[in-house]
Amino acid sequence: MALTFLIICHFFTGYGLLRLLRIGHKPLVLFPLSFLAGVAVDSFLPFLLQLCHCPLYPATVFGSLGLVSLLLNIDGLRLIAAGRVRMSWKLNNILPTIRIRSYELPFLLFLSFLVFVSVWRCYYLPPTTRDALSGPEAIAECAVQEHTIMNSFFTVDLSTTNNQFKSPFLISLQVIYKMAGFPFGQIWLSIIFVSFTLFLYQLLKRTLHPILAGLLLLLMTIAPELYAYSFMILYDYSNMVFFFLGTYFLFRSDRTGARDSDFFFASFMMGVSTYIRSETLVLVAFFLPLIVRKDWRNKIPPGGMFRRAVLFFLPSMAAYFLTTWLYINYYLPVRYDIGSLTNPHLFQLGALYHVYVNMITELVTSAWSIDLWGYFIILWAAVILADVLVYRRLSRTARDWLYAVGVVFFGLGLLSHIFPLMEIDLTIKRGFLKILPVMLFCLANSRLLIVLSSRITKWEERKDHPDAAASDTHLSPSSSASPMRSPSGPRI
Amino acid sequence: MKRLLLTIISTSMVLLLLAFGHYREWFLDKPLYYWNDFCKEVRHPASLGEVRRIRYGTPYILSMKIQEAAKAGQLHDPVFLFEPNSFYHDSLHVDLNMPEPAIFYYYTGLKAVWMNSPTVQKANYLVVIRKGEVKIEHIRTTLQLQEILTHYRSFTPIL
Repeated sequence: MALTFLIICHFFTGYGLLRLLRIGHKPLVLFPLSFLAGVAVDSFLPFLLQLCHCPLYPATVFGSLGLVSLLLNIDGLRLIAAGRVRMSWKLNNILPTIRIRSYELPFLLFLSFLVFVSVWRCYYLPPTTRDALSGPEAIAECAVQEHTIMNSFFTVDLSTTNNQFKSPFLISLQVIYKMAGFPFGQIWLSIIFVSFTLFLYQLLKRTLHPILAGLLLLLMTIAPELYAYSFMILYDYSNMVFFFLGTYFLFRSDRTGARDSDFFFASFMMGVSTYIRSETLVLVAFFLPLIVRKDWRNKIPPGGMFRRAVLFFLPSMAAYFLTTWLYINYYLPVRYDIGSLTNPHLFQLGALYHVYVNMITELVTSAWSIDLWGYFIILWAAVILADVLVYRRLSRTARDWLYAVGVVFFGLGLLSHIFPLMEIDLTIKRGFLKILPVMLFCLANSRLLIVLSSRITKWEERKDHPDAAASDTHLSPSSSASPMRSPSGPRI
Repeated sequence: MKRLLLTIISTSMVLLLLAFGHYREWFLDKPLYYWNDFCKEVRHPASLGEVRRIRYGTPYILSMKIQEAAKAGQLHDPVFLFEPNSFYHDSLHVDLNMPEPAIFYYYTGLKAVWMNSPTVQKANYLVVIRKGEVKIEHIRTTLQLQEILTHYRSFTPIL
């Protein structure tokens, strides 16, 4: 019952937000995206209640979830009440778009098996790391009993840990799910994992043939480290998801003619990502040159460029301010001096160079890297190299995604240089999760794979019985107009 | 017919991926192993306490023993002092890691300190673990505490 309530709240909160920002997409993309946006918004609520010194009781926490969900959907509710939108009409539009071809089944069945195992581990036997147990998980457990995040946990000897200073994202979601009766909390992570997998698959199918889309998604999902983090409560999987969403909508806003709604949503998602891991702020800043360059190309005046750069950076800055400055300095009963953690020799560029060399030798080319990412990074490098050799240059969209790959790689290296405590084999390794979906979309926009997809589709349609093709078109009107079928169509 | 052919190709891709090399090892070691765990649990569901014991291991089991001992001895406001983990490793040669105070509090709701904690002076009970058995010794005076700290001085507390 409580889980149903939470799932409904997440969905409608996210859906309301997407409607508010006028984010348009296929229903099968909007559906998982609503859950992701909903979990993101809801993860702020117990934290904001705490900032307002409101005690965390089930009534206040669940009340705020329901209230936010209603407030974000006032417009839609008014339309339904006025009879201008009928739910049955909406379902009639959505259901025919769900079409699964027989050759998608092997990938979908295997992905479903992996999802099932992950959800079961999350629910029943969660692997809990020291980072969680000695900080956010313990704070959340005490918060449920004592109705405040500033609880008795902070009276314990904390000299062996600094995990109490980690973002309230995890604490908030754990409080919600523990109050709902789940002793390990954590089901929210499964909601993120399942929604993200669905979201990626739907997007990949826009440019690639379902066989290639399924194969690539499977290769990314079975990257051992990434899969492990789909049921381990830490910040990195969620950070990766929202960073990816920010990047995706940023590039989409450019592709769809500088749509402000996508741009705002991208900046909000980057803000959520920074809320989850504050150092993401540095990565967000790395996107500013790209935004300025694109604005310059689109002949946007300097004032407009500045406004867009500020708008993109503002939510991340606000999230950083909220979690690092306000929460740690003025709410937590213990002090933390971040300045003391920075490298005093910031301008020794030789050391920075060595960080990048170590990142490549440890995280990309070593035998250990296969244990972490499987063959996904090797595949990515091979396809991109083949793309460059065959077509001489990458498509514009693939170049954008390649830029994002660079942002993650060079941004993480810089962070490791600034904060030496961010060791390559621990924090940077986990931060490297962010590079995988970005690489996936680089692959999804590879000319080689798009041409291959197009050839498979043409072959499939040529050999298919005309009646079958007609029945497919009838089932899914949008399928015949899929961009995947036309190499010059819009890219993701 | 072509759908069937594509289905055979996609099925072969999945099977080939799992049949050889690194992915095969990973699949057997992780998802399939977890699946077998799931099947076992469906046949014999464990209680929440058992799940916690499986999940958190020996440190959790010992922490619960300490909690039981504290309850049985009706200890008031106990602050437990743990022997350093390096003492277990280097002197007793046992593979034992007592949890750090923050995690011990999460497990039991009781406070603890390590030998090098800034608040070690608050310790009023010493936890001694020998052969899996927990013994709690009352620290009555500051002098007694100092003697304990001196005794374990050569063992650096480690995680």
